[in-house]
Amino acid sequence: MSAPDQSRSRGWTALGPVVGLSLVVAFFFAVPPHPGVSWLDVRTVLVHSVQVGVVGVGMTLVIIGGGIDLSVGSAVALAGVVSALAARAEWPAIGVLAAGLSAGAFCGLYNGLLVTALRLPPFIVTLGTLGFYRGLAKWISHSRVIDAAPGWLGDITRPIPADPRWLVAPAVWIMLATALAMAGVLHRTVLGRQVVAIGSNETAARYAGVPIARRRVQMYVLCGVLAGLAGLLQFGRLRSGDPVVAVGLELDAVAAAVIGGASLSGGVGSLWGTVVGAVMMAYLRNRCTALGWENYVQEMIVGHIILIAVGADFLRRRRGS
Amino acid sequence: MRRTIRRAGFTSGFSGKLAAGLLTGAAMLAGLAPRPSDSPASGPTLRIAVVPKGTSHEYWKSVHAGAMKAQKELGGVEITFRGPEREDDREQQVSLVQNLISAKYDAIVLAPLDDTALVEPVKDATAAHIPVVIIDSGLKAEAGKDFVSFVATDNYKGGKLAGDQLAKAMGGKGKAILLRYLEGSASTLERERGFIDAIKQHKDIELIDPRRFGGPTRATAQEAAENLLSRYSDITGVFACNEPTTFGMLLALRDRGMAGKVKFVGFDSGEAFIEALGQGQMDGFVVQSPVRMGYLGVKAAVDHIRGKSVEKGIETGVTLVTKENVTKPEIKELLSPNLKEMLGEK
Repeated sequence: MSAPDQSRSRGWTALGPVVGLSLVVAFFFAVPPHPGVSWLDVRTVLVHSVQVGVVGVGMTLVIIGGGIDLSVGSAVALAGVVSALAARAEWPAIGVLAAGLSAGAFCGLYNGLLVTALRLPPFIVTLGTLGFYRGLAKWISHSRVIDAAPGWLGDITRPIPADPRWLVAPAVWIMLATALAMAGVLHRTVLGRQVVAIGSNETAARYAGVPIARRRVQMYVLCGVLAGLAGLLQFGRLRSGDPVVAVGLELDAVAAAVIGGASLSGGVGSLWGTVVGAVMMAYLRNRCTALGWENYVQEMIVGHIILIAVGADFLRRRRGS
Repeated sequence: MRRTIRRAGFTSGFSGKLAAGLLTGAAMLAGLAPRPSDSPASGPTLRIAVVPKGTSHEYWKSVHAGAMKAQKELGGVEITFRGPEREDDREQQVSLVQNLISAKYDAIVLAPLDDTALVEPVKDATAAHIPVVIIDSGLKAEAGKDFVSFVATDNYKGGKLAGDQLAKAMGGKGKAILLRYLEGSASTLERERGFIDAIKQHKDIELIDPRRFGGPTRATAQEAAENLLSRYSDITGVFACNEPTTFGMLLALRDRGMAGKVKFVGFDSGEAFIEALGQGQMDGFVVQSPVRMGYLGVKAAVDHIRGKSVEKGIETGVTLVTKENVTKPEIKELLSPNLKEMLGEK
């Protein structure tokens, strides 16, 4: 891929998801009954995009690094259950936080070690750990919902924030901060640049002396920590740790990343785009409710948006090569 | 009104033979299972599989407790409790039933996740001389022929009870909305139908049914409820048709500051619902008796194997819980039966 092509495709990567979201918004305004979008709708949609957004940011990092993590949904459930158990045991807030994040980090570490030590394709490894973490979550919760008081975690996930100065739920700001921080890691740290290098061309990265295995493990751990964060927020929202929650979340996260401009062949991705992708999917669900469309309509629409996004990525690469 | 539960005597050809065979080995395993003196345990221990719709809800834990109570009281019975963890995993439940058939269980007590998908596995079991008792949710097959008996809550009646209570709480006027559960779940569809029929009796209540399904977990139901509440913010009454949808709706109402202002009737019980009743955030919820359902389901299977006649339809009852009656002892027993003791947990 020559330099001018790359800059053109980078421009598209940044603009694509925004154009996509605008089209979706315009579409719903064009549909005849078009019930208005209230401030409450906006707040609701943003809260609904937090889960996919936070997990999607981690997923985007992994995809940029040439990997994939299919176990994030299970990791979210595990972290949710672990934090609910910690809260029920009346651990202090910092302990609950640490418990949830550690559970996520553990999942990421295990994925990373399996991928690097056994040199197995990440698709297979994380498909395996998807089952493992889900089973673990069910085991420690005895397959039951763990009711516990989430305290401030519950407060920050309410669609209408307790303090109106927040405008939207603090969890939404957490999602944005996560994306911002990850963008910082990606562009300003050695870790980030080397992850991009590995995802773009692993052989070249190896010759350039990039410690590939270490970077890969770090990348999966970061993704796991974000799954842990999403698990904590899920626990806050539900006021309970549910071992069967977030089934299929990994696909939503991959979809958000791809809608946002990530390429499944690695090296390319936009954290900002992923967040926009997550918001787009939550917005679709909200509008389908507003229009009184049934659930299946929404599933068919989301399916095609993913197809369009993947198709755009494919065309972009074919033109580029 | 269509009654889903029919009552009729029922005997089966092969159950007589089975019972006779079992009687011959009567004394062999006496003492293995605890049994009251008045119920003779007969033959080898009966292995009965109880298959719930899911295992993560409190409701199924109660069904389990009821089944364990039956194991204790009937004698000569060993219960295996196994189900899919997620309430919309039809595939997993179908495979589970097929595995139980090949493992040659003596009977299967099944709460079908789907009224159609489970028909073939149930027929296969019956063909393999493994009697099946259907609990909780209906199956599109013939009771007495394809399976032994249907042991369930009269869900239509439960929905109607909820509708009447909501109409009363709303003072017979206003806008009511319905949060549905899952496509294809017979028990909740019946409740929804009963609820709609009850609300239609009140001309001044406008019913909004956006046909929104809350989905299988509390998380999916919460999200659906929030979307509904932001779209229909002028509603004055809400009905949710089972545990996850009621829980999700309660959270959504609380987060919106609408709890207590909007009249709300739910279905199934939970600690949070009792608390909400006390705070005036709920105006009632309809409960079934899952313990009784588990107990009667197992009993029907055992009676059938032991050659007693079993009715084709057995109703397990619905009760409306309100602020007024929640403290009564009989309601308390229904709401918080001592599950741990029944399940033998510490």
